[in-house]
Formats: sequence, C-alpha cells, structure tokens
Amino acid sequence: MTDQTTTTDESAADAGHGGHAEGEQSMRGLYITIFLTLGLLTIFEVYIPSVYSAAWSGTTKMLLLCFLAFSKAGLVATYFMHLKWEKPWLRWIALMPVYMGVALILIMLETLYR
Amino acid sequence: MDSGHVAAADHAAPQTSVPEDPHFGKATGGKVGMWIFIAQDGMSFGGLLFAYGILRSAATEWPVPSDILGISLTAIATFILICSSLSMVFAVAAAEERNQEGLVRWLMVTIFGGLLFLGVQVWEYTHLVHAGIGFAECTWEGETVNSLFGSTFYSVTGFHGMHVTAGVIYLCCILRGAMKGKYTQGGTSSSPVELVGLFWHFVDLVWILVFTFIYLL
Repeated sequence: MTDQTTTTDESAADAGHGGHAEGEQSMRGLYITIFLTLGLLTIFEVYIPSVYSAAWSGTTKMLLLCFLAFSKAGLVATYFMHLKWEKPWLRWIALMPVYMGVALILIMLETLYR
Repeated sequence: MDSGHVAAADHAAPQTSVPEDPHFGKATGGKVGMWIFIAQDGMSFGGLLFAYGILRSAATEWPVPSDILGISLTAIATFILICSSLSMVFAVAAAEERNQEGLVRWLMVTIFGGLLFLGVQVWEYTHLVHAGIGFAECTWEGETVNSLFGSTFYSVTGFHGMHVTAGVIYLCCILRGAMKGKYTQGGTSSSPVELVGLFWHFVDLVWILVFTFIYLL
C-alpha cells in the first residue's frame, strides 16, 4: 500500500470513528450508497431464477448468483463492518471462514469430476 | 491525588483512546475478540452450508426451492435485514457523535427490523409445516419429497434465526445502557455499540449467503 493510500484510508477511518462533521456526513452518504447497492443487487438476484428457467444454463445461474451473494457479503464486511479501515491482521482473522469455502469448492469439484 | 482516587477517577471517566498496536492498530481488545468470535461462528455456518452443498449434490432427487419456498416474502425479509444493517451503522455513528437521542432511535429501528424478520420466519415455518415440509418427513402437494430438503432447510435457517434472536436480545441490552447515556460519553465509551453492530452485520452477511444458497439456487 502506498503512503498516499494509507493517508486516504486513515482520513476515512477518522471520518468513520467520529472525526469531523463533514467526514461523518460523507460516511453517511457512503453507507446509504452501499445500502442502495445491496437493495439493487437483491432485486437482481431474485429476478435471476425466472430468467434462468427461460433461457440460461444451470451453471450460469449458479455462478451469477454466487458472484452476487459474495459481492453483497463483501460490501457488508468491507463498509458496514469497517474492515476497509482495519489493519491487515484483523482482515486476516475475518477471512478465516473463507478457507471453508475453498474446501467446499474443492470437494464439489471432486464430486463433479469423479 | 493518591492511588485510590486515581483508580476511582479511571473507573468513572471513559477511556479517551486506545494505544496503537503494531498488529491491530487502534482496535480495542473487545473488537479483536468479537472478530475472532465472528470468524469461528462463520465457520459454524460454513460447516452447515458445506453439509447442505454435499447432501444436495449427492441427492438423486431434490425439489426446486423456489417451487416450495416463498421467494418474494423472503426477499422482503432480506431487505428488512439490510435496512436494519443501515440503521445499525447509523446507531454506531450516533454513539461516536455522542448523540444519545439518535443512538436510542436507531437502536430501536434495528431491533424492530430484527423482530420483523423473526416474525416473517415464524410465519414461513408455520406455513411450511402445515403444507407438509417437516424436519424429518417432507411431502409437497401430495407427493413425497426428499426429507433432506426439510432437514437442511430448518437446520440452516433455524441456526440463523437463533442468531437473529440472540442479536435482538443483545441489542435490547445495549439499548438499556444507551437510554442511561452509557455509550455517548466520548472516547471508547461507544465501543459496546460498535461490537453489537459487528455481530448484527455478521448476521445480515450470513443471511445474504443463506438466502442465495437455500432459496435461490
């Protein structure tokens, strides 16, 4: 991470932890943007199965839904849970359950290509 | 001031800052602890979803979830939970701004969102059980369905529902303290609100994945 990026992150952290009023206002704007994005992605997600039954393949649907779900989960963890402004050690702790996902993918691949 | 007075003063006044740690920065011990708890709890959910994936992929017959489960209603419940996550970040911001009124208001909104979600889940369970989807035996419109569908559905969503219930209780405890002004004294006094926020967002995050894997796929 460059020095400039670190400074930007620290400023954002200050804003996120009760810094200046302007920073607090921008954080509220950011939270609302994330909220709206989550809402839109949910609408898109719910719409996918109906489109899938008409035209798409099962794999396309699965990959698209997984991508959307993990994107939404990532947004919640990064912005609502403030991981964006935490030190790398805390991010590594937060990533621990992802190892489980890796194991799941490996086992499912083994089942598919047995 | 003697040591007794110093100790009393330390106890009364909120800690103004957390010393910088080379690994965790200004994160409090409570926050690091909460993240470790969330990581292990995430693995519990991962294990359940893991089992669900294996059982479903190995099953010769599995019903299309959207044929049985009410996707529209659950999508609304998902949106309610996302709304409660937004109100939670506003509650944390209010605590950090020492805005007691805002904190109490946003905590109440978050609790209401959690209760609404639980209400939807109870309604859904009641409807499904009456329709024949049990934990050990499943029938749908007069035909027998793979019983693992019901077992996995109730295990995963039930485990999540227990987390929402625990979250609502946790939020109520924090609300009680917030009404007394405990978390709006500046410094690290708002830390408990941040911790309950982390737990609540985690519950929301897990539901996002559960909704996709159990309902939509």
